[in-house]
Amino acid sequence: MDFRNTPSRPSRRGFLALAAATGAATALGGLPTFAASAAPRRPTESPLLAADAAAKNQLWWQAPGSATSMIEQGLPVGNGRLGALASNDPGRELLMITDATLWTGGLNDTLESDGQFPYGRGDFGSLTLLATLAVDIPGHDLGAVDNYRRTLDLAQGLVTATYDIAGVTYQRQVFASRPDDAIVLHFSQQGRGTYTGVISLAGTHGESTTANSAGRYASFGASFANGLRYGAAVTAYSGTGKIAVTGTSISVTGCREFTVVVSGGTNYAPDATAGFRDPSVDPERLARSKVLAAARESARDLLHTHVADFRPVFEQFAVDLGTSSAAQRALDTWERAQARWRDNVPDPEFEAAYLQFGRYLLISGSRGSLPIGLQGPWLDGNDPDWMGDYHTDVNIQMTYWLADRGGLSDTFDAFADYCVAQLPAWTDVTQRLFNSPTNRFRNSSGRIAGWAVAFSTNPYGGSGWWWHPSGNAWLCQNLFEHYEYTQDRAYLAKVYPVLKGAVQFWETRLVTTTVTDASGATREVLVADRDWSAEHGPQDTRGNTYSQELVWNLFENYRTATRVLGRDTGYGETIDGLRQRLYLPEVSPTTGWLQEWMSPDNLGETTHRHLSPLIGLFPGDRIRPDGSTPKEIIAGVTALLTARGMNSFGWANAWRSLCWARLKDAEKAYQLVVTNLRPSTNGSNGTAMNLFDIYETNPGRGIFQIDANLGTPAAIVEMLVYSRPGRVELLPALPAAWAAAGSVSGVGVRGGFVADLSWRDGTVTEVRLTSVGGRSTTLTAGGASRRITLKPGESVTVRSL
Amino acid sequence: MQQPSTPRRRLRTGAGRRRIRPGVPLVAAAVAVLLGAGAVPAQAAPAASPAPSDAAPTTVGLAERPFMGWTSWSMQSSKYPGLNPDGDYSYLTEANVLKQADALATKLKPFGYEYVNIDAGWWRDNAWVPTFDEYARQTPDPVRFPRGMKAVANHIHGKGLKAGIYLPVGLEKEAYANGAAPIWNAAGCATADIVYPDLRTTNGWDSAYKLNFDNPCAQKYIDSQAQMFADWGYDFLKLDGVGPGSFKSGDNYNNVADVAAWQKAIATAGRPIHLELSWSLDINHAADWKRYSNGWRIDTDVECYCNTLVSWENSVDDRFADAPAWSRKAGPGGWNDLDSLNVGNGEMDGLTRAERQTYATLWAISKSPLYTGDDITRLDDYGLSLLTNREVIAIDQNGGAPARPVSVAGDQQVWGARNPDGSYTVALFNLGDAPASVTAHWAAFGFTGNASVRDVWNSRNLGTQKNAITAALPAHGSRLFTVRPGTPLATTSYEAESPANTLSGNASVAGCDACSGGQKVGNLYLGGTVRFNNVTVRKAGIYTVTLAYVSGDARSATVSSNSGNGTSVAFPSTGDWGTAETISVQLALNAGANTITVDSGTWYSPDIDKIDVPQTL
Repeated sequence: MDFRNTPSRPSRRGFLALAAATGAATALGGLPTFAASAAPRRPTESPLLAADAAAKNQLWWQAPGSATSMIEQGLPVGNGRLGALASNDPGRELLMITDATLWTGGLNDTLESDGQFPYGRGDFGSLTLLATLAVDIPGHDLGAVDNYRRTLDLAQGLVTATYDIAGVTYQRQVFASRPDDAIVLHFSQQGRGTYTGVISLAGTHGESTTANSAGRYASFGASFANGLRYGAAVTAYSGTGKIAVTGTSISVTGCREFTVVVSGGTNYAPDATAGFRDPSVDPERLARSKVLAAARESARDLLHTHVADFRPVFEQFAVDLGTSSAAQRALDTWERAQARWRDNVPDPEFEAAYLQFGRYLLISGSRGSLPIGLQGPWLDGNDPDWMGDYHTDVNIQMTYWLADRGGLSDTFDAFADYCVAQLPAWTDVTQRLFNSPTNRFRNSSGRIAGWAVAFSTNPYGGSGWWWHPSGNAWLCQNLFEHYEYTQDRAYLAKVYPVLKGAVQFWETRLVTTTVTDASGATREVLVADRDWSAEHGPQDTRGNTYSQELVWNLFENYRTATRVLGRDTGYGETIDGLRQRLYLPEVSPTTGWLQEWMSPDNLGETTHRHLSPLIGLFPGDRIRPDGSTPKEIIAGVTALLTARGMNSFGWANAWRSLCWARLKDAEKAYQLVVTNLRPSTNGSNGTAMNLFDIYETNPGRGIFQIDANLGTPAAIVEMLVYSRPGRVELLPALPAAWAAAGSVSGVGVRGGFVADLSWRDGTVTEVRLTSVGGRSTTLTAGGASRRITLKPGESVTVRSL
Repeated sequence: MQQPSTPRRRLRTGAGRRRIRPGVPLVAAAVAVLLGAGAVPAQAAPAASPAPSDAAPTTVGLAERPFMGWTSWSMQSSKYPGLNPDGDYSYLTEANVLKQADALATKLKPFGYEYVNIDAGWWRDNAWVPTFDEYARQTPDPVRFPRGMKAVANHIHGKGLKAGIYLPVGLEKEAYANGAAPIWNAAGCATADIVYPDLRTTNGWDSAYKLNFDNPCAQKYIDSQAQMFADWGYDFLKLDGVGPGSFKSGDNYNNVADVAAWQKAIATAGRPIHLELSWSLDINHAADWKRYSNGWRIDTDVECYCNTLVSWENSVDDRFADAPAWSRKAGPGGWNDLDSLNVGNGEMDGLTRAERQTYATLWAISKSPLYTGDDITRLDDYGLSLLTNREVIAIDQNGGAPARPVSVAGDQQVWGARNPDGSYTVALFNLGDAPASVTAHWAAFGFTGNASVRDVWNSRNLGTQKNAITAALPAHGSRLFTVRPGTPLATTSYEAESPANTLSGNASVAGCDACSGGQKVGNLYLGGTVRFNNVTVRKAGIYTVTLAYVSGDARSATVSSNSGNGTSVAFPSTGDWGTAETISVQLALNAGANTITVDSGTWYSPDIDKIDVPQTL
């Protein structure tokens, strides 16, 4: 072992300093509202990557999208709050723009006759589109352009399209700037070309756009029935040609280059006591002031400001899974997806790019506003499936499994802040409604405390569809794990009330029952009250594995939190006493599987999408294939996972992959990643042209669900690094396809570390562990282990374990 | 088009549009239909019916190239505002025909358009009631054509154009006159003598009694119609509702004898008349149509019978599936007719710009007759440019064979043909509803390396392109290139029948005159596979692998290399079970030995002759 303690490496962190210099601070608990902000500081030097350096993290295509194919072909940009899909059609650039807070609906606290929540776009609500922006350039019909190419630069957060017409090369860039809080489109050309066209901004709920010729902007504003105000504005400018307001549009005539700036938002506020509104915000007016402020800057400065903000975040993590062939590199992204499936030849660079695309989405969709729901801020209409909401029985949890693993801890804040902001409403609704006599899931004890949610939640404290009693524990699992990664006590203190409320809920919900062990001895145990094993099987069973595991995890984490924070420590011990009395699942003598219910029988669908009974394997880690868990439990878990099968869809495949990674079956874990990369055709399950994950709801109808785009990358990372407090294992499930040589850096490690490692021929050649708060852990690779002790900020590099 | 009798609008749900497609659930009835169609793998279908021994040769000099012109039917059949003010199908009048003839002469004649074709209804009033002369021959409706048909032809000829006219096949029921109408210039013949005693009906609408050519009077009746048209000065006749075809099959609808009689009648009428057959002619009788006529509609009407002239789905896009079967049936003297080319006015046509270009591209590379049904007085600039692109017209008129698909990746298709001058016509199509890039690999055409490329529609030389060309196509879009090849591609052939291969399921080796080595592998259905073993290349990479196959109908197979999942290939029909064609796929191969597998999966695949694998990348 070559062992060397060093001070924290400055290089990667140096970029963080650059980011801070732009004024785009990433403080905890920032207000996720559309608000006035100080003028960004502009970088004095270009932060742009050189072309060859940028190419490593670029996806590219040889065709644009169109108005009817945005979900499959639109390229996503986002500043963490505003998201847009861009068509990049030369003759008609189209942006479908979503603000993460543009939700209909409300508290939704009138239960239906069965004690469950309404789930409609009026009552519960739905995420909706803010606006469409079109830039029509009639002379640039796609049928007449050559060498069309568009690129999604993941590292710099930049969409670029280029094409030739009659010897002139035209280029457009689209980016969503967080520092300038706007989406920018810059059109330029090389040659003697000019642009003539029309820029149109339109609402999607019947608003009227008005234009101001003196101000050279167009805008609209309106409000929903729920009182939410919203608005958007666009302006354009050029150093050549003519830009003028024509009717409600902006015309561009004979411009050698021009720039379009669009912004918008709502008066949503993450404050239950204020009814989730900030009455001081006039969104249309604010949008106007933002676009006009940005338009005082050159397009170059806007781009540099954006890249200086985006790139350092992206570069907190890097991955190299091996070298692809020249033939693969010659293919565009869609061709590569097709070839990967057709030929079954590993394409390590493409597979790494898919991981980075997930990180790109997280950066673009989860900074400074509401968290990413089922689609993030990337809609193509006002009726997203399942409202584009927050699903609490795997989807939102999976979405955030990537954050810490993928070097994007800060993107987790949107999720944590959401839970904290919703807590008062969740608590109020739970305590008023959960024990309604018509709610089949009510507490038999008749007592109620803390909070719970339904399967769906909105940003107004509202729940939708059925109560989901275990959902609170699962949300808390994510919240606590983020603490484990960061060791950030201030963060833990922030989310502590959320954890405690969930614990209190469960304290009133557990019931006692008597079980008989294999030996014939009986004992009294605590079990969860009547419930459903997340969308699967009977709806009135007690002690479901799903609930038992989640509550076990919640109680354990809670006790840790009380100790870390020095709060409620006595209560923490009480709760841990309950944890020790929890019934834990057994292996069925009938099926050989870990039981999903307190029954040896298979009460559900063998290949059901959910892996609820495996939640103690992943995302939990009570079940560990390291000798500490009885081997018959490991065998039962393996048998159940095997029975669930290898052929589901998006998030279900990602979860399976994560479980196989935990079981160190690298090839199965990899196969599921590959299955998710399968090109989607006619809505079939798999990956769309723009790499969005598509779930086939009905034959021929596929929808975008973002969770697999983030969960599959999480699985890739989990194949490379496993961690829990006190232990980090390198390359636990490295598939042959990536074994030759590779590296990954910036991987979050539970216990408060970041790992950078490289390998060759399947063996770790070097690892650097940096403490972000952690003090000691055991580093394991290839069967060898080493105890590591570091001070926060210190690094250690190990060359041969 | 169809003569609109009862109902006027031909329904598009007829049997002619039904075909066995991959993915149809496997049911006993469907299998019976498939086998009954003579499409048993590895067995040739029955040949077309034998030609009558007294058949006359094809009229010399007509249709040396696909004809060009205008037809009245597209506007007649449309509900586009203002076209048919006096009721459905009322557009057809002398005034409108002459107006279009004049516009054709001015705008399109310089580009080769010359036929002005009057379609159905010239002998019917606006209530669709027909008029016949005393000899049971159609006679012009006096409201539509107050000066009669001869005056119209004269006017057309005066513009340097040619005149076309129309008839349904058979003796129209209303002309029967209780069997008593005499036949012109045929002593002793009456309508009763020219039909069957049971008055069996024929044609696509059952609107006529089938002619009985066992009685010489029937030929006389055709002679009398031909002579009438010749006397009026017509140069072109569209004979409609012809079967087998026109969504009909069976003896009563076999109009081969009618078509032969028309050819004979025209030969004696003293005036060359181009004979065009309609619609959806049965490809199993292609030899008959080729022998007796100058062109045949391969498909249903392109018109939509809606508020525009056509629409993409109804039914421009049908031709992509239906044209390949006919690609070897056309040539000088008789061409595959894809129906009218309605691309001249976007609003009236009901198509996007991209769809209009694609429409014109398919017609040109298919060597279809080019006749528009647009209002030539109202062509928009883009429409005029499409109809008058001399390079595109030259492709249509170059006398070469129609293009075929050379690679079909779902909705993204590459079609091509070798031109008489040694260059290649290469068309890229995106039939999908969203933009897509499409790549033509030179290897699919048998050459490699650098080739010079001309973008035909955009009139631009794109210079030298190495190995392939890619273009971004809008939904339903296309690109049309002329490519001058560089180096021939060296390939290694692997015969399907080689004993080195592995067959599974019912796959078996069968004789095949059209195949290299005289053999092929057939019976590839319901899981049957042929695996080529030891396909060897020196360098790992993605190769353009070309499959030679025989398939009397369109079929599919999954083609894969090594452990790959493969690609589902739609094999267009080769037209019959005695013709081999090729289609190319992209497959990764390792350096050294590989396997390539053709798997029928859950349905029926073509018979495989061989594969050709490039020796170099």
